[in-house]
Amino acid sequence: MSYLCLENLVKTFNKTEVVKKLNLEIKQGELVSFLGPSGCGKTTTLNMIAGFTEVDEGKIVVDGKPVHLLPPNKREMGMVFQNYALFPHMTVFDNVAYGLKLSKIGKSETQRRVLEALEMVRLSGYEKRYPKELSGGQQQRVSLARALVIKPKLLLLDEPLSNLDAKLRQEMREEIVEIQKNVGITTIFVTHDQEEALAISDRIAVMYEGRIEQADSPVSIYNHPKTDFVSRFIGEVNQIQGKVTEILGTHQSKLNFYGNEQIVAVNAMKNAEMDFFIRPENIQISLVETNDRNIGFKAKVERKMFLGAKTRYILKAQNKHLIADISNVVLNSNLIHEGSSVYAAWKPEHLLPSRNVR
Amino acid sequence: MKKRLPKIGFHFFCTIIYVFLLAPIVVVLMSSLTATDYIVFPPKGLTLRWYVELVNHPEFMQSFMLSVFVALGTSLISTAIGTLTSIAIVRHQFKGKTAIVQLVGSPLLIPSVVFGVALLQFYSWIGLAASPAALIIGHIILTIPFVMRLVVASLVGFDRSIEQAAMNLGAGKFRVFFQITLPIIKSGVIAGAIFSFITSFDDLTVALFIVSTDVVTLPVRIFTYMQYQYDPIITSVSSIMILLTIVLMIIIERVLGVGKVFASKNQ
Ligand SMILES: Nc1ncnc2c1ncn2[C@@H]1O[C@H](COP(=O)(O)OP(=O)(O)OP(=O)(O)O)[C@@H](O)[C@H]1O
Ligand SMILES: [Mg+2]
Repeated sequence: MSYLCLENLVKTFNKTEVVKKLNLEIKQGELVSFLGPSGCGKTTTLNMIAGFTEVDEGKIVVDGKPVHLLPPNKREMGMVFQNYALFPHMTVFDNVAYGLKLSKIGKSETQRRVLEALEMVRLSGYEKRYPKELSGGQQQRVSLARALVIKPKLLLLDEPLSNLDAKLRQEMREEIVEIQKNVGITTIFVTHDQEEALAISDRIAVMYEGRIEQADSPVSIYNHPKTDFVSRFIGEVNQIQGKVTEILGTHQSKLNFYGNEQIVAVNAMKNAEMDFFIRPENIQISLVETNDRNIGFKAKVERKMFLGAKTRYILKAQNKHLIADISNVVLNSNLIHEGSSVYAAWKPEHLLPSRNVR
Repeated sequence: MKKRLPKIGFHFFCTIIYVFLLAPIVVVLMSSLTATDYIVFPPKGLTLRWYVELVNHPEFMQSFMLSVFVALGTSLISTAIGTLTSIAIVRHQFKGKTAIVQLVGSPLLIPSVVFGVALLQFYSWIGLAASPAALIIGHIILTIPFVMRLVVASLVGFDRSIEQAAMNLGAGKFRVFFQITLPIIKSGVIAGAIFSFITSFDDLTVALFIVSTDVVTLPVRIFTYMQYQYDPIITSVSSIMILLTIVLMIIIERVLGVGKVFASKNQ
């Protein structure tokens, strides 16, 4: 049974549909990321769940009860905002205590729970400070404590880390996941940083133009993207074309790439041109020709970029560019120079078929 | 070397302006201490006699109380209306918004004499006699633009997600307004309240048209008194008004800092 149900959500601003019949189910305790390009409707969807934006059509059901007609202050959801949104005129303690005071819990109980929440976000001893006396990371932790202390039904985070620097982001995201797992709270985490989404989510809902393209585990999203948008949006991809030369059976065809033939597990029609995506890290390079199941074809190294653990090679074969990322452990990058001729190859199972059939 | 000269010029210019602004105030304050029966500067002798003398003029005390009452009433109502209007204007798009902004701001553009005449005509037309209420209404119209300027400035850049956060934690609309919004914009609101108090308290031009023999504000009282007599009691009353204004300015400074009050944007 799913804990949160979004059913055919629609939101229209000035006659443009920003969220278009969005559907999603989230299980209790799950951490789901909304990932998508800017303007795809992530914040709008989150605001509809929190109640800041009216739902034009559709339903939001939490724990079996429809909530989409309730005002935000009756929905019992904890929200963490991108810009922290702490109350500037209140101390850290009062910020965190605000929700508890409203729910008329006794003074000693309030005190106990606030201190507990602050300890959870490792901010004990900061009770008397004002928000402006805290760093960005500390402010965001107060904001997290403030949201969690009321034991909300859902935790909603809208790009909570995007105002922090790279190192702190990584630390904070680990912390958030740890707290989320300990508390066991159902969470939606909005981000447009795919690495962040891949690292922390139980499931990622990839959004595009007001719809969810695919909601799956990070591994499935990365390895089995269901739409072209997801293939292109998650990770990096090369787009390649192959021509079907022979049908070997259902889900088994022989294709010609760059003059070499390879057997790929797809349904095809003879002589059709097919598009595939392949990730840069799935392309291999060698100085000698390879065989077995991999196709190997000649390519020229146009540019080489050292990226630390790996080296990126921009290859050119038959007038088309290909990006290959090779671990420096696997291949010593000193052996290959710009202008070198190499053999590039990939395994058929790494090809991601495009839905865009021609 | 080259930069020195303009700098000296600048300081000189500033000093002139300060002298020009402050001299009249100093003159009034000092003249009120004179021992003579007429106003002189510099004062001859040093005495508080003209302050004590005020006791024999209960009409000044009466006018003072009336002025304080009118100023308080103006300040309260004007601040309330001005604050709510500002919020509506900054946050919402609605029909006739520009018209309202222009209308509310117009007292800043119209000479107060013209406004006083207009008010007099209007009051006699609707049959509203001279009264504290009549004064307060006039002053509200006069002071709302000030309140709005200040409150709008403190609302610009207000992060609305702070209010959303409060709603999220269970606060209803009224709670959000009184516990979150108002405390955050309070510097603008307090400044507006004090400014409208001072404006009302100091107003002569508009009040002149509205007062009657038994409803006379302090500035009008001073003005009419001066037409017949010219003794230092005028300067002692004026000094009290000046001191009161200074005290209010100090409060503004303490609470918010003068720079902020005059800045058009919230920093
Ligand atoms: N109040 C509003 N009035 C009109 N249009 C709006 C409003 N809020 C959002 N939009 C539009 O809806 C679309 C989706 O906005 P939304 O804020 O949900 O995007 P997002 O996915 O959160 O993007 P980002 O990653 O930039 O935060 C955008 O095109 C935006 O311009
Ligand atoms: Mg957003």
